[in-house]
Amino acid sequence: MQRKRTKVRASSPGVETVVVMRLYISGNAPNSMRAIANLEAICQEYLKDAYKLEVVDVFEQPARALADGILVTPSLAKMAPTPVASIVGNLSDRSSVLLALGIDGKDR
Amino acid sequence: MQAASPAFQDLLRRLLNAPLERQAIESGQVDAILDPATGASILLPAAQDAMRESQLHAHSLVKLSSDWQWEHDKDFRFTSCEGSRIVSSAFGDKTIVGKRLWDLPFDNMTEVDWQAHRSAVQHHAVYRNLELRSRDHAGAVCFFSLSGEPVFDKRGRFKGYRGTAREISNLTPAEGASQPSSGILLGALDALLAQICVLDSSGTVIYSNAAWRAFAATRGCPGIGLAEGASYLAVCDNAGADDCVNGSAMAAGIRQVIAGQRRLFRYEYGCNTPTGRCRFMLTARPFAGDGPASVVISHEEATMRERADQSLHIDDLVAKRVPIANRVLAAMPLEEYRCLSDGLEPVFLNFGDVLYEPGDPIRYVYFPGDSLVSLLTQVEERMTLEVGLIGSEGMVGISLALGVSSSPMRALVQGTGAAMRMEAGRFQLELKQSPSLQRELYRYSHLLMAQFTQTAACNRFHGVEARLARWLSMTRDRVSSDRFHLTHDFMADMLGVRRVGITNAATTLRERRLIEYNRGDITILDRKGLNAAACVCYRVVKNLFDGLRR
Repeated sequence: MQRKRTKVRASSPGVETVVVMRLYISGNAPNSMRAIANLEAICQEYLKDAYKLEVVDVFEQPARALADGILVTPSLAKMAPTPVASIVGNLSDRSSVLLALGIDGKDR
Repeated sequence: MQAASPAFQDLLRRLLNAPLERQAIESGQVDAILDPATGASILLPAAQDAMRESQLHAHSLVKLSSDWQWEHDKDFRFTSCEGSRIVSSAFGDKTIVGKRLWDLPFDNMTEVDWQAHRSAVQHHAVYRNLELRSRDHAGAVCFFSLSGEPVFDKRGRFKGYRGTAREISNLTPAEGASQPSSGILLGALDALLAQICVLDSSGTVIYSNAAWRAFAATRGCPGIGLAEGASYLAVCDNAGADDCVNGSAMAAGIRQVIAGQRRLFRYEYGCNTPTGRCRFMLTARPFAGDGPASVVISHEEATMRERADQSLHIDDLVAKRVPIANRVLAAMPLEEYRCLSDGLEPVFLNFGDVLYEPGDPIRYVYFPGDSLVSLLTQVEERMTLEVGLIGSEGMVGISLALGVSSSPMRALVQGTGAAMRMEAGRFQLELKQSPSLQRELYRYSHLLMAQFTQTAACNRFHGVEARLARWLSMTRDRVSSDRFHLTHDFMADMLGVRRVGITNAATTLRERRLIEYNRGDITILDRKGLNAAACVCYRVVKNLFDGLRR
């Protein structure tokens, strides 16, 4: 999981407002479908257009998931802004997703 | 379940010891675990059950909505055809296995129609509702509707087609009857400027609009201006082919629309008219009306549009040169670049992405475009120091070009932007075959070594302020922009000094009106002044780079 926690302490990204995420799923398996729905709801509510989400199906791109250090699906990786973070599961626990994405629920 | 490798069993042990992952697995929120040795997904039992159920569900829906389900191999020969209604007709009979669709005795398709179909499937296009007619053993006419989609394996190689078929002999009139009345539609056609006519299923003109009738037949465009009652398809067939128009191609396309195999046929052709050479666009669409009307033909003059397209084409050619923003790639001869470009994949690098950790195997090499990558040496786990900076002038993963498959340093994305990447195995292969790539990369590794040695000396002998000015100038050269976003913490990591040292140096540079600095947003106000404030190392490295590039 080399990408999971980098030791660089930089706190602001090159592009400050856009949250870049990658969601790793397994085809149309139930938790994967739920994770997409949960994440889309969260993005709509808190991020509006200020996010980039790429969904990677590990059935189709297993090498890519391995290269990114992904070991279970569904997994969500936040690539930017730093610190990068990842979260495992169907993303139904909204507060832990917001925490991982660095969104303060009260702010927005 | 697939057999798990020892690496996988190891991973399971690790996951069960990690509290978050363990919790997710235990609460049933995980679908699959990836085998780190092979990348194969190992589905957990609950997900397996759910997916099997959903497959069965989809399969039963397909069975309900079609009479047969068939598969082709990659040579388009039927490998299976199953269905609930096996009748002794041309289709759905078990004897079709091993044959191609165009070998079967359908009588509504001409050789041109089959050519068009073959061309579509050779390009792996999806087709829907291809209507075919044949006679069953008792001599009665049957209609079939076929839909198919290409199938690819995991590596994206074409495996064949699969699809469904329905017998529609009894359905055709009922489907036609549900279409709206045509009276209003015909009236509206007269108001249009384009030349429009409506054909019946045999290709005879049954209606034409005012513009069509007014069009002088002397202008030499096949069929336009043809009176009602004449056969448009016959005129096209007889027109033959010359250098500007191919009548039989037009006829073939229109026949496909009549047969319901295409929803749209467009054909552009040239005409010599008294006012000069003109281009026309023929469009044929199925006619949504009752009665005999089958297809609407329209001709529009496309001369102006063609000119606009030509200028777009030139713009496009210009635009296509831009993506080769990386100078190593841009220095390659076009032929060799073309070979190389098959293995290149555009990626977007985000600030903070770690491309390599020290000692990790190199999976990809990167050719930055407008992105910027720092090479960091790590001491005692927590202290880092930047020893090299790579932008569009170079390549990340140079160790691989020198025959070493792991990176000695951490490669960290410092500037968000685009890059091209290539898989390590492919890169080694390309390097062996391309003398130009070898030359460029050996030259670049020499420059990088010079950069390393100069940085090592600089870090020992020069003050923080001069080093910060050098580093900002180097960053500026590589991102080609006077504005970028960097925090004090980040710069402290790069230069291997404490945060307070950066704050003092940045304040001095700001007081000298060389830079502006606000919450991590850096603007270079005086580029020459900043270069002068930088230590001599900046110019040494820059001169080397500039000199060798020529």
